[in-house]
Amino acid sequence: MHRMTRRDLLQAMLAAPAGPLAASAPASPVVVARCLSYDEDQVALLDGMFDKLGGLAGIVRGKTVTVKINLTGSPARRFQGKPLGVTHYTHPAHIGALAHLLTRAGAKRVRFVESAAGTAGPLAEYMLDAGWNVRRLLSAGPNVSFENTNGLGNFRRYVKFPVPGGGWIFPSYHLNEAYAETDVFVSLAKLKNHATCGVTLAMKNIFGITPASIYGDDAPAHEPNENPAKGRVDICHFGKRNPAAIAAPEKDPASSREPGYRMPRITAELTAARPIHLAIIDGIETVAGGEGPWIRGLRPVTPGVMIAGTNPVSTDAVAAAVMGYPPRDPKGRGVFRDCDNTLLLAEELGCGSADLNRIEVRGVPIEKAMFRFAA
Amino acid sequence: MLSLPVLAFAAALPAAGDWVPMRWPSSDPRSLDLLSGTPVNCLLLEPRSWSAEFSAAAASQGIVTLGVIRPDQAELAARAGPAGLNGVVLEGVFDKPVAAGGLTVIEMPPRARLRFDPPPVVLATSQGVWPGIDAAEEESKAAPSGAPWIHTNSGFLRFVRAMTTAPVWMGCQPPPGVVFPAARYLQAVGDAAITGARWVISLDQDLNQRLLARDPPALRDWNRIASHVHFFEQHREWRRMELTGGLALVQDTGSGGLLSGGILDMIAVKHTPVRAVPGRYLDDTRMRGARMAVNVDPAALDEARKETLRRFTRGGGTLLTAPPGWKFPPPRDDRITLDKEDIAILDSIWREISSMTGRHNLGVRLFNVASTLSTLSSPAAGRPLVLQLVNYSDYPVENITAHILGRFTRADLYEPGGAAPKKLAPYESEDGTGVDIDRVSTVAALVLE
Repeated sequence: MHRMTRRDLLQAMLAAPAGPLAASAPASPVVVARCLSYDEDQVALLDGMFDKLGGLAGIVRGKTVTVKINLTGSPARRFQGKPLGVTHYTHPAHIGALAHLLTRAGAKRVRFVESAAGTAGPLAEYMLDAGWNVRRLLSAGPNVSFENTNGLGNFRRYVKFPVPGGGWIFPSYHLNEAYAETDVFVSLAKLKNHATCGVTLAMKNIFGITPASIYGDDAPAHEPNENPAKGRVDICHFGKRNPAAIAAPEKDPASSREPGYRMPRITAELTAARPIHLAIIDGIETVAGGEGPWIRGLRPVTPGVMIAGTNPVSTDAVAAAVMGYPPRDPKGRGVFRDCDNTLLLAEELGCGSADLNRIEVRGVPIEKAMFRFAA
Repeated sequence: MLSLPVLAFAAALPAAGDWVPMRWPSSDPRSLDLLSGTPVNCLLLEPRSWSAEFSAAAASQGIVTLGVIRPDQAELAARAGPAGLNGVVLEGVFDKPVAAGGLTVIEMPPRARLRFDPPPVVLATSQGVWPGIDAAEEESKAAPSGAPWIHTNSGFLRFVRAMTTAPVWMGCQPPPGVVFPAARYLQAVGDAAITGARWVISLDQDLNQRLLARDPPALRDWNRIASHVHFFEQHREWRRMELTGGLALVQDTGSGGLLSGGILDMIAVKHTPVRAVPGRYLDDTRMRGARMAVNVDPAALDEARKETLRRFTRGGGTLLTAPPGWKFPPPRDDRITLDKEDIAILDSIWREISSMTGRHNLGVRLFNVASTLSTLSSPAAGRPLVLQLVNYSDYPVENITAHILGRFTRADLYEPGGAAPKKLAPYESEDGTGVDIDRVSTVAALVLE
């Protein structure tokens, strides 16, 4: 596997082949901070990081903020018996801290969302199953709520989100209305490898906004299934069939059925269709080798790092570099050896730049924060 | 013939309902020191360990001795009296009655041959699954969904408890050739105890040998096991309570009640409070307080019992009936779990049950309990409510939330080794009362008033 050394990093910044699209894609500063434990003051940590990005108030005051958290896989599946937040889930300390900071910055409403694995039940109950103190999280702000977007949940309809430029796999996505009733969209992700996509960061996190009611293995051909109990493997990963008819069918049924082709494209399409305004990636404690305990060879790691930025592609590029992976590696190289590079695809859609030369890193330099994920 | 001193002590021996049984690996009277301070007061002895000296020493400590006899050893029963034993345990399938010279006889047959009527001194079986989570089995699961499968006898024991007023013993032994960590024994203790039964303590050969040799780590493990047994014996009032819950499962010996891994266990994994109602005893009393019911073998009910279920539904209860022709495999001596084909058939009715119970609170809803099983019990008066939990994972479970139906103002958490219960702070929840439990190592009981 191609690992990134500090020398590689320098070379990547000096010589990475960025095409014309990369040159025109927006780039924004990314903040990197050190944090070795969730016992440290996460409010102060995030507050300091947001200050380095120009402050939270300017982004969220008077706005409805939707925060996509990462609760991948059933909460019943623990890795080595550890709490989910220190392995493959968003850590509850960050949810509480973010709810507090967003409220303090004047957000009108703060809604934490996830399409919870195998259920359309209340997200709060799913969080209880994860061992979180939901009452405490709700008390972080007066207008804090949780929404499971795997079905309609508390909303009445699905909303169509067209992919700018038409997309590769789907021309549009039908999502829970919560994603439309959003002024500011935040991806609160985990710094992890992904068995199919190489890395799962702020962008891959929002793959989970697709409702299983429409894109799930047990979604009927026509109407959505409001009691989904399965994942999205057949439709999204392998393209064995089309989603429920409420949503647009695939553009090209003759295209590759390889998950390494489809998943990065779907992720990039979703990033373009439902833009992320703030990307936060938790690498304090996490896992390497995959996205969850169902992946063989998974191991716990403590990179001791937090990363945030207002552009998801730039933030993911810095995060990939912190993991020791050149963010512009093409398919077939390094961590992208079996898949397309989601970052480059999102760049192609104009979502942002993955070119480290164009991204200002504030706080801890990449070379000092680097924690190699490759075994 | 027993000597006079032994008879004098024997008069002070505990009643059968209070026997705390253990398979004992020694005939050395000095080994009894290991039981000092433990609640174990009934030893099951293999024939090689029968001795009048040992029995007398045991009796002098208030310990009952029972000789284990297997089907090909029936003639040994005549030796039990002279060996000073208080009784015999007939483990296995015996074709003919065994004469034990007036001693107490406990039958320990395969599940399929359990005799419920008249109620025996002790209702026991040697057949059980070895409780716990199979780590290798779980590791092989390559999907992001699904809770770990817990091997448990608790579903079977729930059914048996509903069938009898006799004390119930689960006589399963650890699989041979494997050395288990102490936690697995704690789980075995809890697996039986939360249903009101007792596990016949049985240690693997390695632990037995090290224990008899007073190996310090083995002594530590034994102390932990004994403290967990002690915990449940300290609270015998829980054992006498009725297992309760808003869901009633109507089944009988011929419709899955004697199996493990069946519907009762599947419901238990979802932590839906369920009571077993044997079809032969189905009446309004057994159904009192139930809001939902599942009848797995409608054809087996007579007209009076069918009418009971009709009254239940007329009273607002929801009844789910197994599809026509649907049948559990009959119990057999060599099988206590379901085959793959049976499980596939079971899946259809299981989906219906799961859909019916959904998010309903049928007594308590528990969160973050994937590696645990629980029972809910109460006396006839309904209070206190006792929620017992067993954690089958190798790690403590942290941050459990319980949403209990009804208003409770007091919640005490009892754990082994704890001098006093921990007072928890109940709060109002959607369903009535919420309680947060910080941590459960292996077993715990929440008592609500």
